[in-house]
Amino acid sequence: MGIFDRSTQGHVTPPVEVTLERGAIAFFAETIGETDPVHLDVEAAQAAGHPDVLAPATYAVVVGTFAGQKAARQGQPDLLTLINGDLRVLLHGTEAYDYHGPMFAGDTVTVQNEVTGFSDPKGGKLEIAHVTTRITHPERGPIVTATRGIIHRLG
Amino acid sequence: MTVTPQNAKVGDMIPDHKFGPVTRTTLALYAGASGDHNPIHIDLDFAKNAGMPDVFAHGMLSMAQLGRLVSNFAGQDKIRHLDTRFTAITPVGATVDCTGEVTDRREEGGETLLTLKLAAHIDDGTQTLKGEAVIAV
Repeated sequence: MGIFDRSTQGHVTPPVEVTLERGAIAFFAETIGETDPVHLDVEAAQAAGHPDVLAPATYAVVVGTFAGQKAARQGQPDLLTLINGDLRVLLHGTEAYDYHGPMFAGDTVTVQNEVTGFSDPKGGKLEIAHVTTRITHPERGPIVTATRGIIHRLG
Repeated sequence: MTVTPQNAKVGDMIPDHKFGPVTRTTLALYAGASGDHNPIHIDLDFAKNAGMPDVFAHGMLSMAQLGRLVSNFAGQDKIRHLDTRFTAITPVGATVDCTGEVTDRREEGGETLLTLKLAAHIDDGTQTLKGEAVIAV
């Protein structure tokens, strides 16, 4: 038997608003080694035609994590708590993004997670939770659709 | 000739991208910058209690390098899709070598789209990520 709470299948988390911040984007960009100033400096971003500092491609996962932290502060479970993730045996299996538009510092976006299902590959030695995260901007509509496979090592 | 989105043909390799070596400091900073505080990546005591010999890198730190590989090539606002499967863990001390091969070039919805097959390998040859990107030219 697995560890994930299978009764959460189909669950959609309440929308959480996250405002992207210049300093947080620059910290992330520097940490991953990014040198393109459009991610680091507002003047460089604007000179390149952007309204503000541009979030790097995988910043979508960070926005999702920040949404989970905010939910937890508001007394709601974050995603891993919701599905009963066990960090001792947890691995990240897959991550995918479909980009509908860019995200910039100053944007306030809405984050919602959907637990789309569970699978039991390798004869039950692994169990995988499948989650879709949708990041939406109030005027620009869908920004990123992220899908993720979160693994428990059971064998 | 340098391969660019404009001249790329099926079979071409895009300019590769290296990151590392990944240190414990890198992992501590990535935990803070990303908000991913899973102790398996930053707390040796936790990792050992979980049966691992050491902490290991966040998969998303390596995926961020695939993102840099593709945005260096095409510009980040041209990326339409990016995905990866994490096929092995990345240990402390590893250097991550990211590569991309053009596997398709097509016209769709009035724009030219390229599909790239992506990979990350570490120093000992282990493939750590296997992925794909779609970019607009």
